[in-house]
Amino acid sequence: MSKKTRIPPMLKRAVSHIFTKPVTTKYPFVKPTLPADFRGQQVFDINLCVSCGLCSRDCPAKAIEMVVIDGKRRPQFKLDSCIFCYQCAESCPRNAIKSSVFYELATTDKSSLVLKPQASVERRASPQ
Amino acid sequence: MIDFWLIFRILVFPGFTFVLLLTLFCDWMERKIEARIQNRVGPMVAGPFGILQPLADFIKLLTKEDIQPRDAKKFIFKFAPLVAFSVMVFAMCFLPVDGASVLSVSGFNGDLIVILAFVTIANFLLFLSGWASSNPYGAIGSARVLTQFLGYDIPLFLVGLTPAFIAGSLSIAAIASAQTIPYIVLAPWAFVLFIISMQAELEKDPFDIPHAESEVVGGLETEYTGGKLAFLHLTRDVQIVFGAALVVELFLGGSSGPVFFGLPAFWYSLWFVLKLLAVVVITEYITCVFARLRLDQVLSANWKILLPSAVLSLILTVAMVTWVYPLVV
Amino acid sequence: MPNSNVNIISVIESKLKDKVQIQPGQLGTAAIATTNGLHREVIQTLLDADEKTAITSITGLDLGANLGLLYHIRTSNAFVTIRAEVPRESPKIQTITDIMPGAVFHELEVADLFGIVFEGHPSPGHFVLSDNWPEGVYPLRKDVNPYDVKLNPSKDVITQPSDGKQVKIVLGPQHPALLEPEKFVVTVDGETVTRVDPRVGYVHRGIEKATESRTFLQDVYLVERICGICNSIHACSFVETVEKILKIEVPQRAKYLRVIALELNRLHSHLLTLGHAGLEIGYETLFQYFWRDREPIMDLIELTSGNRVYSSLMTVGGVRRDIKEEDIPKIKATLTDLRKKLPFYRQVYEDEPSLKMRMKNVGVLKREDAIKLSVVGPVARGSGYDIDVRKDEPYEAYGEIPFKEIVYTQGDTWARMNVRMDEVEESINIIEYAIDNLPPGPFRVKAPRVVPAGEAVNRVEAPRGELFYYVKSNGTAMPERVKVRTPTYANIPAFLKTAIGESIADVPSNFVSLDPCFSCTDR
Repeated sequence: MSKKTRIPPMLKRAVSHIFTKPVTTKYPFVKPTLPADFRGQQVFDINLCVSCGLCSRDCPAKAIEMVVIDGKRRPQFKLDSCIFCYQCAESCPRNAIKSSVFYELATTDKSSLVLKPQASVERRASPQ
Repeated sequence: MIDFWLIFRILVFPGFTFVLLLTLFCDWMERKIEARIQNRVGPMVAGPFGILQPLADFIKLLTKEDIQPRDAKKFIFKFAPLVAFSVMVFAMCFLPVDGASVLSVSGFNGDLIVILAFVTIANFLLFLSGWASSNPYGAIGSARVLTQFLGYDIPLFLVGLTPAFIAGSLSIAAIASAQTIPYIVLAPWAFVLFIISMQAELEKDPFDIPHAESEVVGGLETEYTGGKLAFLHLTRDVQIVFGAALVVELFLGGSSGPVFFGLPAFWYSLWFVLKLLAVVVITEYITCVFARLRLDQVLSANWKILLPSAVLSLILTVAMVTWVYPLVV
Repeated sequence: MPNSNVNIISVIESKLKDKVQIQPGQLGTAAIATTNGLHREVIQTLLDADEKTAITSITGLDLGANLGLLYHIRTSNAFVTIRAEVPRESPKIQTITDIMPGAVFHELEVADLFGIVFEGHPSPGHFVLSDNWPEGVYPLRKDVNPYDVKLNPSKDVITQPSDGKQVKIVLGPQHPALLEPEKFVVTVDGETVTRVDPRVGYVHRGIEKATESRTFLQDVYLVERICGICNSIHACSFVETVEKILKIEVPQRAKYLRVIALELNRLHSHLLTLGHAGLEIGYETLFQYFWRDREPIMDLIELTSGNRVYSSLMTVGGVRRDIKEEDIPKIKATLTDLRKKLPFYRQVYEDEPSLKMRMKNVGVLKREDAIKLSVVGPVARGSGYDIDVRKDEPYEAYGEIPFKEIVYTQGDTWARMNVRMDEVEESINIIEYAIDNLPPGPFRVKAPRVVPAGEAVNRVEAPRGELFYYVKSNGTAMPERVKVRTPTYANIPAFLKTAIGESIADVPSNFVSLDPCFSCTDR
């Protein structure tokens, strides 16, 4: 062992930390604030959709399927395959796909992760 | 009547229940201190400030499936953790918590030797439990336990005898009550050496080589699950409490302290617990600020530094007892 | 006499003019067409001409009747691709491992995926593919559909724990010291390691094959998922390679924005490793401190890109989102905070005795060995082998940003960790400079989805070292071949070399000092 006259810095730092506030984020009791353009669950506006299918074609994870609703082809998002890259939003010529800050998508029911295109897609209700 | 009192003392206070609660509390405190040193919050959900977390962990482990490896030596695998736990609790009974030890008859002259032997037995049982699991990692972990405690048992014994020399007795109660000036003041070098060898004996950082999970996975605990694992963990926690309690008895004046009003036994227990917690804080602090050493580094440090220092400490103590202390005390 | 300022091309021209054909192009400084046998001669010439000659990768190609081989060789000031072709029926070529030991893994990989036999290879066998992979099926050949491959029934491989004298310890595929599955059979004599047998491929996902059935646009997100930690750099390298084929010039602002994203990535990757090294030597407090300080960087990545881990910022022609003016003060404040914490860590590395006992003189890799084994990144720089693609071959805006190249000469675990520590500070400087000097203008240009036929190579400096991409396009929207050589793949030989003769207890800390990333390694 080499002889060092200096005191190892950790000795001091460890004591000083006992008297400082912990940095831990107390999730889930305290939720973090997210930037406004966080890439969370998609919000799809059916009124803007022109049924072009570009989102489905470009999706790298093949998470968007075009389904026929009221005689028109509309995107159906499978969030369990989605990688949240938002290429769909970028490809969409009408900005019908927008991001939201909703991120708590864990569920025990996989079918609830399929977002059916409706007149207005609600945020998926959290599982009971 | 006497019998009821004795049973109460064995089972509730300062016996089994008290030791168990103190262990769980110390476990919680260790985790909390470690967390705060590392700038985290530590346990916070179970109970106020997460104080019930160790109990919750213990109960959770008890409810888990108990798996026995096909090749394990069944009897030893099953009973070694339990016996180790019992030995540690039994050793605790010799320590005078509220001024007298649990069984007043047990406080015979020479019980210091007995409880130091108990520490060895418990470590040996832990070694057996790892060896019996027939897992290479368990075997390596156990071998490391054995190697390390062979190295550190001798210094621990030697340094543990220092207070006995000063007090002129091998009885813990006598050593504790002889400390009008705590021996940490009279023999600080012995205190430091004792803490270091205790740290190694209890396998805490920087000596937690048997638990180096990046090298030996779970060490001797690798194959243990469920209730047996719970008891292995508990044994380790009792060992830590026991080590701290031993330091309190030998160097910090045991349970002595000012008595203000009411039952003296209450105040004695209070002082004892407070001193014990202080020692736990010190050991946990050491754990946090050092990295784990390598087995060869630990062993060479032991044989080259600690053992000679322990012998020197003993010589120094004898010299002090002969020529210096009579002038002071 | 080796000379680092020599013009490699003129050396080749003067020595082998009549034998080889030098083609300018997108494959580095030059592409040299050779034949079986001649490629060894060219490599030997390069080795003689420049002391820092090392192999970056070997790319296999399916050219129809022939199988192609591209040897990518780097020297101190050039990057050369050596072409060779072998007939499909009897794909045999001489090995180069005897003159260039760093090529062992690269040849194994090509042999596994293309079925090319390297005559004279020291340890042939499955390396990337599983042991029950059928004989004669080489997945990266064009006629193989991976969905049709029928695996042989798998056999239990039981490593005998002991063969008389020496004990074998199996590290992995599942082991607490390895955060990702990979197997290393460590033979020990007492506590001393005498032999290490690696086996990678446990997380081989066939991404190189998968890129061939997706569009270039989708591939950007696919290659980003090769590695979770250095995701931006993978995407960045891929889009740069595609831009080279497309001959698109990225707007200046995009270059700076890419640099910011890449350096944020490097920051969080280095802090992660520094903390992880603490965990491996049982220094949990240090680990917690590093990871605590990493968290604000993750928040910055979330702020600038919209996601904590996968930034998905890169796209062909620029970046996908601009940095917002109102976020700049927050970014700067976070970086200043981190910079203030660095002196403490440096002091810990300088003064903490138990840490130095575990890190100093552990896993010493000498400079000659580092060059011979062709290691990259902080591992090379910790051994005094000064390669940093950001300096050697500046990409994006790195040519305009002043920063230091960190080199330590001790070559041990401690030096490798200190390289990373100093690079954290350099990264902070780079980001601050880039933010202050962010040029105005557009941040992306429109890029066509169909890429004209062509091929290109690209090298970037990932947090773990030189990352190499080769992309070949056949004029459609999907690439013909994408080859990725990740830094860990090049660095594992360094571990195999340094572990021998050391204590088994030093294996984890030695290993983690390479900053291993097996998802990268296996792809």
